[in-house]
Amino acid sequence: MSKKISRLVIVGGGTAGWLSAGVIAAEHAISQNANQEHGDQQDNQFQLTLIESPDIKTIGVGEGTWPSMRTTLNKMGLSETDFIRECTASFKQGTEFSGWTTGENDNYTHPFTAPQGYNETNLAPHWQELQGRPRFDQAVSHQSVLFPDSRAPKQISTPEYAGTVNYGYHLDAAKFAEFLRKHCVDKLGVKHIKANVTAVNSAENGDIASVTTDSSGAIEGDLFIDCSGSRALLLGEHYKIPLRSKKQYLFNDTALAVQVPYSNPDDPIASCTLSTAQSAGWIWDIGLPSRRGTGHVYSSAHNSQENATAELLRYIERTAGSQAAADAEPRKINFDPGHRTEFWHKNCVAIGMSAGFIEPLEASALILVELSSNMIAEQLPANREMMDIVAKRFNDKFLYRWDRIIDFLKLHYILNRRQDQYWRDHLDPSSIPDSLQELIALWKYQGPWHRDTNHTDEMFPSASFQYVLYGMNFETNPSTTIRRSDRLGREAAVNLFQKNAKQRRELEMAMPTNRQLIEKINTYGLQKI
Amino acid sequence: MSKYSLLSQSEHAKLRVITERGAAYGDNLMYAMTFPLEFRNIESSYPIFFAKDGESGQFYPLALFGFQRDENLYLKGSHWDATYMPMMVERNPFLIGFQQSPDVENGEKRPVVSINIESPRITEIETEVKSEALFTDSGEPSEYLQKSMENLQTIHRGHEQNKAFIAVLLENDLLEGFNLDITLKDGSNNRLEGFYTINEEKLAGLQAETLGKLHEQGFLQAIYMAVASFSRVSGLIAKKNASLD
Repeated sequence: MSKKISRLVIVGGGTAGWLSAGVIAAEHAISQNANQEHGDQQDNQFQLTLIESPDIKTIGVGEGTWPSMRTTLNKMGLSETDFIRECTASFKQGTEFSGWTTGENDNYTHPFTAPQGYNETNLAPHWQELQGRPRFDQAVSHQSVLFPDSRAPKQISTPEYAGTVNYGYHLDAAKFAEFLRKHCVDKLGVKHIKANVTAVNSAENGDIASVTTDSSGAIEGDLFIDCSGSRALLLGEHYKIPLRSKKQYLFNDTALAVQVPYSNPDDPIASCTLSTAQSAGWIWDIGLPSRRGTGHVYSSAHNSQENATAELLRYIERTAGSQAAADAEPRKINFDPGHRTEFWHKNCVAIGMSAGFIEPLEASALILVELSSNMIAEQLPANREMMDIVAKRFNDKFLYRWDRIIDFLKLHYILNRRQDQYWRDHLDPSSIPDSLQELIALWKYQGPWHRDTNHTDEMFPSASFQYVLYGMNFETNPSTTIRRSDRLGREAAVNLFQKNAKQRRELEMAMPTNRQLIEKINTYGLQKI
Repeated sequence: MSKYSLLSQSEHAKLRVITERGAAYGDNLMYAMTFPLEFRNIESSYPIFFAKDGESGQFYPLALFGFQRDENLYLKGSHWDATYMPMMVERNPFLIGFQQSPDVENGEKRPVVSINIESPRITEIETEVKSEALFTDSGEPSEYLQKSMENLQTIHRGHEQNKAFIAVLLENDLLEGFNLDITLKDGSNNRLEGFYTINEEKLAGLQAETLGKLHEQGFLQAIYMAVASFSRVSGLIAKKNASLD
C-alpha cells in the first residue's frame, strides 16, 4: 500500500506559513500526544510542524486582504474582535484609484460589493445611457458612499464577520503572523520549531525525506510546504523550479515601503486602499487604526530610486505633513515579478512569495495563500500515489489563476491616457497578454458579464472588470440590434438606480466611521451572534 | 427632549411630576429594558426578549409592548393595561448616574439621582391630571420621590445583574436571533425582527454541572421565566387584533 500522508512540514513562518498552518489545521485535526518515532501508526494520525527561522525577518508588507479572509479566520475559530484588536486591523471595502486614467485629478473606486441586482441585471449598458453619466461606482453601488467620510461596513451591533456591505481587512502583517502563530500553536496543535534549515535530504524517489535544522535535528515529513519567501528554499533552491518572469507585462520590480504616523490620533482611517498613480508606478496607502502603511512600487527601468523616493516623500508631505515626510526612511524591496513554472513538485508545494509575486495591486498575495492552503486542506492527498494527481490539479489551477491575476492587473494599466513613457509602454500591444487583448476587443461590443466567468471559483468576478473598465471611462458600444430583452432590463435598471440612491442615503446615515467603530470594538467587542 | 440635571432641593423644590400614563408623556414605547430581579413580575404580563444596545452592541433583556416603533399595546389612552409596570418605564423622568466624590480621591463613585427637566412629565403647577410633588413644603423629599429613589437603586442593581446574566447566556450559547411572522386578522403580515430569545435546544442540552452553576448564580430561574414568557406573545397579538377593530 502506498505511504499515507500524515506528516506535514511547513518551512517558513511569515504570514504565508502561519496562515497555511491555520487553514490546514482548522480542517485536519492534529493528533494529540503523537509519537512518530515509535511508529504508532493509528489510522487517523496527523501532524503539522512549522519550522521558523529565528534569524530571518518577515518582509512585513501585504497588509490588505480580500473579503474571503473573514471566512478564513472564522473557520479557524478566531474571534473577529480579537483579530481587530491584536492585529490593529481596520476594514477594507475596496480600492480607490487616483490619477490612473489621465493623471489629472481622475478618480474611481473598485468596491467589494457587486453592483445592485448583479445576479440578474447588468446595469452597465443602462448606466452608459444615463444623462450626464454619473461615476459608475456611485451609480451602481451603494458602498462607495461610505468612502469619502471613511465610514465602516458594519455597526457595533452587527455580529462578528457579518457586514452591511462586503469587506476585507487592512492589518499589521507582523502582528497578524504573531496572532496566527499563537492560535495555531495554542489551539490547533501545530508544532512550532524555531530553527534554521541547513540541508534538504532526498529520498530515493526524489521526494524530500527530511530537512536538517541547525538546532532541532532532522525533521521528517510526507509533504513539505515551502513558505520560505522569495528565496524558495525547497521549490527553488532544492528542486530548481524556475521563476517565470512576467516583467514583459507588468513592469514594476521595486518597492519603497514606509510607515507613516497620523498627524492627529483622531484622523480618519480610510475605508479603501488608496492607490495613486505616479510617473512610473503607483503609491499604496493603507490606513490602520495606529498608523498608515505606504509605499511606492515602480519600474526600475523607467524610474530612478532617487526620483521614486522624491515622489513618495511628496505624497507623504501632501497627506501627512512635512514632518512625517522628513522622518520617513523608506525601505527598498526588489522583486522579480513572476511565478514558478510549477508550484507543486514531488512532495513539495510552494505557498506565498516562494510561489511567486507580481506586485501589490489588488492585494493578490494573501488571497493566493488562502486559496492555495484551502485547496491543500480540501484535497490533502490520502497517500503518496494520490499526491501526483492532486499536484497536477493544483498546478493547473494555479497556473490558470496567475494568468487571470496578470490579466486583471494589466487591465488597470492599459486604459490610461497619461503621457509618461512608463504609461505609454503599458499600451504597447506586445506588453499585453493575448488573453487580455481578446477580452478588451470583445468588451467593446459586449461588456463584462457573468458569461465571462469560466470557472465557479474564478478569482475575479465580471463585476470587478466592470468597476475598472467603466471607472476608467471605457466605452462599450450599444447593441447592434434591437434586443427584446432590453425593454424589461431597462425597467429593472430604473428601479435599481433608484434603490441604489435610497440605499446610499440610508447607509450614510447609519454607518459609524471606521475610527468610531474600532474604538467601540476595543471597548465592548463585537457579538458572536 | 432630554436634559438631565442633578436633582437638588434648592433647584427643584417647586417641581411636580405627572404620574398619569399616556403617549404624550413618552409611554408609547415598543419595549423597555428589564432585568432578572423583576422577571417574575414582567413574565406575568409581557414577553421577555433580548436586543442589542445600538451604542455598544451589548445585549440586554427587554419587555416587549408592541410590534413596531412607538406601538405600546398595553397603553389605552391614560390607562396601562397590565398588573405590573416595568421599572424602567416607571422610573421616568429620573435617571440614576454616578459621580466621583470630589473630596475623596479614587474613592468609589456614588450613585446620584438626575432628573430630565425637559420631560413632558415635569410641571410647576397643579395640573388636572394626577401629579406628585418632589419635595414637601418643609423641603423634605416627598413619599413619591423616596419611592422613586428606591426604584432607581433597584434598577442600578438590575443593570449590574444584567451584565453577569448576559455574560452567562453568551458563554453557554443560550441566545439566538429569531424572526416572528404574525398574520393579523385583517390578513396583513407583520414581521418582528432584530430580537433574540433563549435557545431552548441549547438549554435542554446543558449538562447537570452547567445547570448547577446557573442555579447557584441565580440565573436558572430567570432563564426559564424568559422561556415561559414567550406565551405572552399570543396575548400581545390578541391586543393588536383588538386594536384593528
